[in-house]
Amino acid sequence: MLLASFLDPRLIYYEKRILTKEQVYHEMIKKICAHNTIPIPQDELYQLLMERDRESSTAYSTGIAIPHIRLSGFEDTVIGMCWLNNPIDYNGQEVSWIVLIISDKTSSKLYLNIVAALLKVSKDDALMPVLRHEHDGHGVLFALKKAEIKVKENLTIGDIMIRDVMRILPTASLREIGSVFNEKGYSVLPVTDEGGRYLGEVNILNLLKVGIPDYLMMIGNLDFLQNYEPLEQLFEDEDRVLVKQIMSTDNETVSSDASIIEAVFEMIQNNKRSICVVDHGKLVGMVTAMDIFRKIIKA
Amino acid sequence: MLASLIGGFLIIITGIVHQHEALIAVDWNVIFFLIGMMLVISVLKKTGVFMYLAIKTAKVANGKPLMIMILMFLVTAILSAFLGSVTTVMILVPIVLLISGELKISPIPFIITMVIASNMGGAATMVGDPPNILIGSATDYQFLDFLFNLTPPVVIITISSIVLIKIIYRKQMRVSNENRARLMSYREATLIKDRKLLVRSSIVLLLMLIALSMQGILKLETATVSMSAGLFLLLISDRKKVESVLTNDIDWMTIFFFIGLFMLVESLVQTGFIDITAQRIVAATKGQPMMASMMILWLSGIFSAIIDNVPFVAAMIPMVQKMGELMNNTNAMHPIWWSLALGTCLGGNGTLIGASANIVAVGIANRNGFHISFKQFTIIGAIFTLNSLVISTLYILIRYF
Repeated sequence: MLLASFLDPRLIYYEKRILTKEQVYHEMIKKICAHNTIPIPQDELYQLLMERDRESSTAYSTGIAIPHIRLSGFEDTVIGMCWLNNPIDYNGQEVSWIVLIISDKTSSKLYLNIVAALLKVSKDDALMPVLRHEHDGHGVLFALKKAEIKVKENLTIGDIMIRDVMRILPTASLREIGSVFNEKGYSVLPVTDEGGRYLGEVNILNLLKVGIPDYLMMIGNLDFLQNYEPLEQLFEDEDRVLVKQIMSTDNETVSSDASIIEAVFEMIQNNKRSICVVDHGKLVGMVTAMDIFRKIIKA
Repeated sequence: MLASLIGGFLIIITGIVHQHEALIAVDWNVIFFLIGMMLVISVLKKTGVFMYLAIKTAKVANGKPLMIMILMFLVTAILSAFLGSVTTVMILVPIVLLISGELKISPIPFIITMVIASNMGGAATMVGDPPNILIGSATDYQFLDFLFNLTPPVVIITISSIVLIKIIYRKQMRVSNENRARLMSYREATLIKDRKLLVRSSIVLLLMLIALSMQGILKLETATVSMSAGLFLLLISDRKKVESVLTNDIDWMTIFFFIGLFMLVESLVQTGFIDITAQRIVAATKGQPMMASMMILWLSGIFSAIIDNVPFVAAMIPMVQKMGELMNNTNAMHPIWWSLALGTCLGGNGTLIGASANIVAVGIANRNGFHISFKQFTIIGAIFTLNSLVISTLYILIRYF
């Protein structure tokens, strides 16, 4: 199935004015309701949309936002599209292409496949400028048809991963990794060499473990200790200990064309909340369980 | 450990021993005795009683290093006699690392003396040290025989070793009052979490020791006794954790090591190597029990220091059995068996690699950044071993001849 087959040229338009997200959403809903029979009134639709947006961001790093409403008994999928001349800020992510999808509660597989197709388009450096310079829905439809964008590919990890992940060198000191964790609020970072080759991961527990020697782990029950000096001394070692001494190197990774289920499986299996995405030995991104939950399950 | 298992099957593949014979050679009494003991210890460990003992010991010693060392020596020896030397070292060495860290003194002298104590204590009973377990299973000697014949010399050796410790370490180790105060603030009472389980498992342990002492009357083999105790404790403790206990708390590496070892020793028997050696020893000692005992004691002492004493004793057992056949005098064999037990267990202290407890303890120390060199261990170990073997010699000569 072609992506174009799901689209209605009347619901695709270009917005030249400077508008807020709320104004754009109102406009899009108005267009959708004018050409389709939606079982609930416009303002209720708008409320649902805003609620979904408040739950978690619908924006992706490629500048597309895909807000989504599920209605029970709707039994159809309607897609509205708005190209923005003036990008809107979605909690720090600039969005210049909003695609609003209204679908039935049960058709989540089709929905995910449409999202996959849209994300693929949003990453396509050749197609995107063409779409952006069209003037109306017919042009967009024609360009998508010509590029043969299909809706059957499954969503892959590459579609939902975070691409510009921060990384750290194995030669960084504890102080450096500590301040990254502290300032950015991260609890895990991939470790790569200068060429971006994936070497392992370092997480907040690796860091804390520096203050707990091996023999304490063997004792097993530390109730009798009220304070423990080595943990306090951890910060004296900050410049001496390097990331490569504490990082873990036996983590599972996935490739960017891995399926969502594969990544979820690895995370559950290894009791981890994130997994590095590695293609041909190079780190290309990272995906967290929360990303998968928000973008797939709660989408 | 893996080498032993590979070796065990290699002798089958190469046709030295038929698989059937190699598998029959495995002493399942030893294997299940070890598994049973591991189960008992895994439950006892969870009660926190061992840690309580160790911390309490340091506090009773008032945080004074030499006193801690002497008391820890005693505690290690006593625990090893009943729990086994390897287990005791595994439990106590981490705690000594913690205590010495708090006192800001080197843990190395403590670890070395505790390893020595564990091999001594282990020598005192049938269940204390792997060599004794092997001898106990292969012969008709029972728990009480070991207690009557081996505990007296070990008690003497332990007391004389404490004198040695005082001489060697009296001038070392100063501790500041501040660091001592920190140790004294440990709340060891919080370590005993499950009093009910502690009482129950202590009773089971006591019953197990009584059953072992009454083996002659009860007609139960050691494996049956230890497995009954282990399985019963497993049932009355946390039943949800049975699977984790069976996979994690049983040291399968050791179990497989023993299985492979039995198979390898069988190949020595089958190839006639053992018979020839036995004949040579009997010829060299002219069949005299006193000469043979002394030879076995000192040879075992020296060999157990150079190579791991477990494979050594495993190979010695069929040889001593063969000697018994050749000498054809059951009474004359008693001092020879006890010489073998004392020689192998105590000889294990001779060097860093002499016994399993040494290797385990040094491994733990290494992982925590305290490197104990071969030389460092051997200088101290050799003094204690020499002392032990001299006392054993006197004991054997006075008691049996």
